[in-house]
Amino acid sequence: MPIPDKIASANKINEFLSGIVTHGGLHLKYRITVDPPLAEERDWERPEILVEFSGPDSPLLLERGAELLRAIELLALEMLRLHGNEHEKVCFDCMNHRALRLEELRLAAGVAADRVRKTGSPYNFAPMSSRERRIVHLALRDHTDLRTESEGMGLRRYVVVYPKDYKGASNPSRRTLP
Amino acid sequence: MAEQKISHPTGDARALVEQVAKTLVDEPDAVSVSQVEEGSETVLELTVAPNDLGKVIGKQGRTARAMRTLLNASGLRLHKRFELEILE
Repeated sequence: MPIPDKIASANKINEFLSGIVTHGGLHLKYRITVDPPLAEERDWERPEILVEFSGPDSPLLLERGAELLRAIELLALEMLRLHGNEHEKVCFDCMNHRALRLEELRLAAGVAADRVRKTGSPYNFAPMSSRERRIVHLALRDHTDLRTESEGMGLRRYVVVYPKDYKGASNPSRRTLP
Repeated sequence: MAEQKISHPTGDARALVEQVAKTLVDEPDAVSVSQVEEGSETVLELTVAPNDLGKVIGKQGRTARAMRTLLNASGLRLHKRFELEILE
């Protein structure tokens, strides 16, 4: 379902970020684009609102796995009161971080798939956000000899890659990819 | 639509917490933030309406953690250590 009023939401995000940047003393600029053109043909992410940060504090946004960028994104999504399935319609980015992370996850998914085929055993990814788990699931959806599931609770939820007909004890050793 | 903003060099962490909290809750008028200096640390005590407590804490404490992450980043820029306390 699309965001009901994208322009109003973009304006709310603008007001929200303006306050955060000013009060927080952060040296950041940002650009908000409604219905941004897609960089490439893909169904991984189709944001309806794209927020791109730039400026001297960009590296601060991306430290520790883009912790600050994710924090600001989470607060903005909560502020907009979007339903869970609408979260991916709003995308926060900085220095092309999302595209790089996407590529990283796709590569990691490929490595995991190879390992599961080779060993015949399931493979556990490290815990990830729902958005990143979705990318891993999508990256492996065409591998018909494998299946993927999300396991664990809350912040510890992670993707497991199984051989399609796997029936063994489901307690594979924890890996740390990516 | 595209908009561009340039940041200001100064900040106010109390106003930051107040602004974020007000956008999260159903009763913004019930939001208050008091600032307590404790040695080298500045403690920001956030009070919200009882029904809004869940909104500022979030699922598994995610929202509160995000606010603390933002506050830490702000502390780096404002050269201060901030601590967020959510009062019940």
